[in-house]
This record gives sequence, structure tokens and C-alpha cells, in this order.
Amino acid sequence: MAGSALRRLMAEYKQLTLNPPEGIIAGPINEENFFEWEALITGPEGTCFEGGVFPAKLIFPPDYPLSPPKMQFTCEMFHPNIYADGRVCISILHAPGDDPMGYESSAERWSPVQSVEKILLSVVSMLAEPNDESGANVDAAKMWRENRDEFNKIAERIVRRTLGIPT
Amino acid sequence: MPIIVMERLPLPNLRTYTCASVLALSACIYYATYIVKDPDWNTSKSDLEIAPPNSEGEFVNNNTNNTSADERTFSQFTGDAFSVMTKEPVCVWIMINMAYCWLILLGRCVQKFVFGQLRVSEQQHLEEKFWNFVFYKFIFVFGVINVQYLEEVLLWCSWFSLLGFLHLLSQLGKDRFEYLSFSPTTPAWSHAKLLGLLGCIFAFSLFMFLVSIFVGFFQGLNTFAFMSAEVILLGIRTLHVIVRYALHLYDICRESNTSLNRDTATALEKRGPVIYYIELGFEIAALVVDFVHHVHMLLWSNIFLSMASLVICMQLRYLFHEIQRRCKKHRNYLWVLNHMEQNYPMASAEEIAENSDNCAICWEKMETARKLPCTHLFHTMCLQSWLEQDKSCPTCRLTLNIENPSDNRPEPSEIQHNPTQPTRQPLNHFFHFDGSRYVSWLPSFSVEVSQLPRLSRAAASNSQLDAMARQVQQLFPHYTIPIIIEDLRVTRSVELTIENILDGRLNSPPVFRESDDPSSSTSNVPLSLLQNNEQPSHSSNSQQNWDEITVENVESEDAVAIGSRFSKSPTEREQILYKRKERLIQTARKRYVEKQKKISET
Ligand SMILES: [Zn+2]
Ligand SMILES: [Zn+2]
Repeated sequence: MAGSALRRLMAEYKQLTLNPPEGIIAGPINEENFFEWEALITGPEGTCFEGGVFPAKLIFPPDYPLSPPKMQFTCEMFHPNIYADGRVCISILHAPGDDPMGYESSAERWSPVQSVEKILLSVVSMLAEPNDESGANVDAAKMWRENRDEFNKIAERIVRRTLGIPT
Repeated sequence: MPIIVMERLPLPNLRTYTCASVLALSACIYYATYIVKDPDWNTSKSDLEIAPPNSEGEFVNNNTNNTSADERTFSQFTGDAFSVMTKEPVCVWIMINMAYCWLILLGRCVQKFVFGQLRVSEQQHLEEKFWNFVFYKFIFVFGVINVQYLEEVLLWCSWFSLLGFLHLLSQLGKDRFEYLSFSPTTPAWSHAKLLGLLGCIFAFSLFMFLVSIFVGFFQGLNTFAFMSAEVILLGIRTLHVIVRYALHLYDICRESNTSLNRDTATALEKRGPVIYYIELGFEIAALVVDFVHHVHMLLWSNIFLSMASLVICMQLRYLFHEIQRRCKKHRNYLWVLNHMEQNYPMASAEEIAENSDNCAICWEKMETARKLPCTHLFHTMCLQSWLEQDKSCPTCRLTLNIENPSDNRPEPSEIQHNPTQPTRQPLNHFFHFDGSRYVSWLPSFSVEVSQLPRLSRAAASNSQLDAMARQVQQLFPHYTIPIIIEDLRVTRSVELTIENILDGRLNSPPVFRESDDPSSSTSNVPLSLLQNNEQPSHSSNSQQNWDEITVENVESEDAVAIGSRFSKSPTEREQILYKRKERLIQTARKRYVEKQKKISET
């Protein structure tokens, strides 16, 4: 089981190293355990998260790619689709069976055809366009709808923190 | 079934324990030799009572005997000393203690040599397994076969101690193998050590099986069955790990010589079901042996209304469910296999040639493939394992018309369901042991059996909790240590706490910390990439002096060295990844500062 998962992860790592998407880096934290990765995601331009480099952790199950990995930001995040503890809530990370939100069509769910690269690209587009329907962080969703200036300020502060620039 | 020992014994560390044991043993030996020195030691006891030693005639007699004492050979002498030691109860206990000390030391040596530092989850498994084993064997010895004599208790205990020791090593080997299989670059030496250890355990279990046959020959079938059940289980489990290990190593070797021709590819396709059936065979065999063993205990001992029977019945129920679950899974497997063979034909060679892509599930080249109605191609094995859990095409999401008559698709919650947690409702039992029934100096104590799944281990010490909490906090820096420890006290397991956190069951930290604490926020930045960037807090507004912020120049010549290359060496890969990350952050910083400068200028 772990053998085929390992080969697939290795192939993905290779691909992400040789043809990295703009502003995205991902790889195992430690080669002793290929099932725990760290990814760095650059905030998309023209959005309130522009310029920030956000670290996140990816934890793969032993039966990957049959089951999706878990993804969690390890820096502070304030976003309608990211839980307060950093977990990312997007449909691509949900296994076809479970549907915690109850209104995602299975077409957007996890399938073995998805990959780390696709997950990270979806996260980038999620950063650009939050889906305030699925309220992983209700406060953030509310602020995003009603008080965009305040939201942008918080986002700006987060961006600076990820860059190590004093706020 | 998890167990909680009510009061945790404060264990001394290994060195003091060994010293104390050795001291006690030498005192014991000294005592024995002191007695045996007297050549009349065999008779003197009775003599002493008859005639006081200070009588003249007795003294002379002693003297003459003393000269003859030298004629005793050394082996006779030690034999005598040994027989003295076995007669004195204190000496017997000291010797038993010494045997356990040896066992523990041996275990420690094996751990040092084969495993090195144990990981936290391995330690947990080990402890869990240890208490489980002790508890069940205790129930067995005192509840089921109800031994009456001290000799019998000792024999059974030593048998199970040895078995338990091997079981623990086997469990450790399994955990370590699973961890090593997560890494593509484990040195061959550590594979060899682990495999060697597993081989030794298996050989030992064979040897112990022979011993139990030998004993059973004299003591009857029941004794043989009781003795061998646990040995057979040990053998099966160890062999299972060995076989999995061998397959894993074979896979790794295959990967390293990538020149695959069509023959090996088809051989691999055929290998899939074989591996599946090997796995199934091992799992079912272990479960069935365990089940039969428990039924045997229940029937043999006529203990239907005692505490022991209750425990055994609960275990039986759990084993039964496990067997049932495994059979269901197997039916699903057969059904999917059958369905696939009937509805999805093998793709022809032209079709495969036309489709230049790799298999979308495993990303490997396809030599043979099956075709779905939507014309997407996959390896048979890959498709099989996916269809077992979902009925759609992985690529285009076309819903496949699969109507499994008895829809056995396991619910997601069931997949994640930990097999060691049979029931969810809390069920506590007290088990009282009154040792004075057997021997007057045996202690009496109570053990609480708890079926509450989260309380899966004996209480961990605070330092262990701290270590576990730190491990969790590495993953979730947002949670403070006290919150994590609080949860760990309940779960007793890093995995369960992580699950709790991921499922949002833990008290979340504040939604967004408004306090500007640069040290806490930058600590979240990966790999402490931002070494010297901390500067005294400015007033937080855009009127910052951007020139103050230093930005290291991003060396461009370095870019060539790290750019688009996938090294074969893991350490080099790690370094390259680290450099790439560092560079991404530095570039982002530089860009950000430049942009802010521009804004503040205008
Ligand atoms: Zn495949
Ligand atoms: Zn399709």
C-alpha cells in the first residue's frame, strides 16, 4: 500500500521540482517521512493576500492517492474558507463519501486524478476568491461580506508577518 | 480492550533496578555458599536441634568432616548451593527477579541495537500492548485455568513473560517497518537489522511451538492448546510483517531498475490478487486463531458467571465483529472484481499506444489497462482499489452504473474507525484479585477495565505528556501546550488528539490574535527562515520607514545551481528544497518592500 503511495508521491515531488507553478514550492519536510510535506504558497497578485508567502503542512494518508491529504496552514490565516486552526476547507480535499457542508457536488471532490499541484492551485484561487458560502471561519466570512476594508487590513498584517516584516 | 491500572507504580530507572537485583542475587549466593560451606548442612539443621554445638564431641566431629569437605568437587558444591537457594523462598524470588532483570536488559539491548530511539507513537503502542497482554494473561492464569499451586503459577508466568516479550518486539518491528516504508531512502543496514530481528522472533515462535507440543504430549490436549494459541498468533503476526516487508523491498528494488518490459508488467498485474489473498489469509488466520482460543477458554473453564467470562465474552464479540467486517470487505472486493471483468474490457494494444498518458491513479506507465465506458484507461489494480470505495470514473467523474446488491461500501466513518476500538459506549468493570488465596504473601489488588475507547492506555507520566504535546504543537502551533495536554490527558494518544483538532473538537484558540506579538507570529514561519529580520515594532501604519528594512540580495548565480534539477541524493534534494524556499521568501520580501517604498514615495 505505502509502496505505491510512495512512488506516486516521489513522482509528484519530481514534477513539482522540475516544473514548479509560479510562486509555489512543495516537498517533504524530511525525506525520512515522505508522507508529510510543507508547501509555500505566494498570495495571488491583485488580492488582499498579495505578496505574502504562506506556509502550510500537507499530511498524506497511507492509501494516497485513493484518499485525499489533509492540509493546514501553519501561519496565522484569516479567511472564510480556512478554520481558525489553519485547516483548509475546499471541496477538492474532501473524500467523495463525506460531505460535511452538504452541498458540494461530487464532481469537485477528491479523486486520484487530483494532485498536490492541483490542490495548491485551488488553494491559490481560493485565496483570491473566497467562497463565503462554506463558512469555515464565520467571522472572516462576515467581515469579508460586510467590512472589506477591515478584512484587507487584517490580511495585510498577516502578509507582513509571513514575510517577517514588522507590522 | 484498553486497560487502566488504578495506581501507577513509580518505576525505578533501569540502572538502579539492575544494581539492586545484582546485589540481592549476590547476597543470596553468599548466603547459600555460607550455608553449604558447612559440610553437614544437609543434616546440621536437625542435628542442631538435638545437640547444642558447644558440646565437646560435636566440635571434634565437625573438624574431621571439614577436611573431607574439600573433596567435594566444585560442581557438586554449586549444585548444593543451588538447591539451598531453591528451598529458601526469598532466594527464589530474588532469582525470579533476576530473570526478569535479564529479560529487560536484553530488551533494552535489542532496542538500542535495532531500533535506536523509539518514536512516541511506538512507545505508546508498546505500553498499550504490554498492559493488554499482562491483563489478559492474568485473567487467563487466575480466572480461566484457576491454578492452585505456586509451581504452576510460576511456570505459566514464565511462559507468558517470554511470549509477551516476543510479542512486544514483534509489535515494535511492525511499527518500525510501517514507518520505514514511508521513506524511500532507508539505508539497507537498518532494513537488514529489522528483518533479522523479525526472523529471530519467528524462529523463536517455532521453537516455542515445539516446546508446547512436547509439554502437551505429557499434559494433554488442553494444555497444548492453551500454550500454543498465543505462540501461533505470534508466529502469524511476525510472518505477516516479514512477508509485507519482503514485498515492500521487492517493490523498492523494482523501482530502482526502471527498465520494465511488457512481461514483467503483466506479471505485476497478476501479482496484485496474490498479494491481496496473502494479506487476507494472514488477517483472517490471526483473527480465527484468537477467536477459537477465546471460545476454548470459555468452554473449558465453566466460568460462565464470573468476571473472567465477561471479559472473554467482550473480547469474543469484538473478534467476531472484526471477522465479519473483514468478510464484508472481501465480498465487496470479489464483487468489484467480477463487475470489472464483465463490464470493462481490457484495452487493446492500439488503444494503449494511442493513449500516451500514464495511468492517472498511480502515474506509472500502462502496459495493460482496462477501459471504462467513457474510454478512460487505468491499470486493473488501480481501478479495482478505487472502485472499492467509489463508483465513478476518477478522471471524468462519470457515474458508473454499479448496483451492488448488498451495498457494502464502507462508510467513511467506518474506514477511519480504529479497529482497536470495538465499542463506543463506556463500560467499566472492576476486576479484583485476591492473591492471598494462593500464597499468603501475594498482594491483593483491583484492576479497572474500561471500554471507553479514548482512554486507551495506562496513565502516562507528565514528561511523556509534555513530549506528546510538543509533538502535536509542532503540527498546530496555534494551540497552546496546556490546551493540548488537557486533551492528551483524555485521549492518551497523539493521533487521537490530532484527529480531535482536525475535527474541531478541541477548544479553538482565539479566532485572530489582535495582539501584535512579533515573536509569536514569526515563530510560525517555516524552518526559521527569517533569522535576522526581527526589528523593534514600528507604529503599525503605512508611514513606516521602508529603507530601514534590510533585504538580502538574492544571489542570481545560485539560481542556476538550484534551478530545475531533481537530485538523486535525498540530502541534496532536501538542501535544494530548503534553498528554494528561502529564496522564494527573500524574493517576496524584497518585492514587498520595494512596492511599499514606491507607494510611500508617491
Ligand atoms: Zn495505475
Ligand atoms: Zn472517464
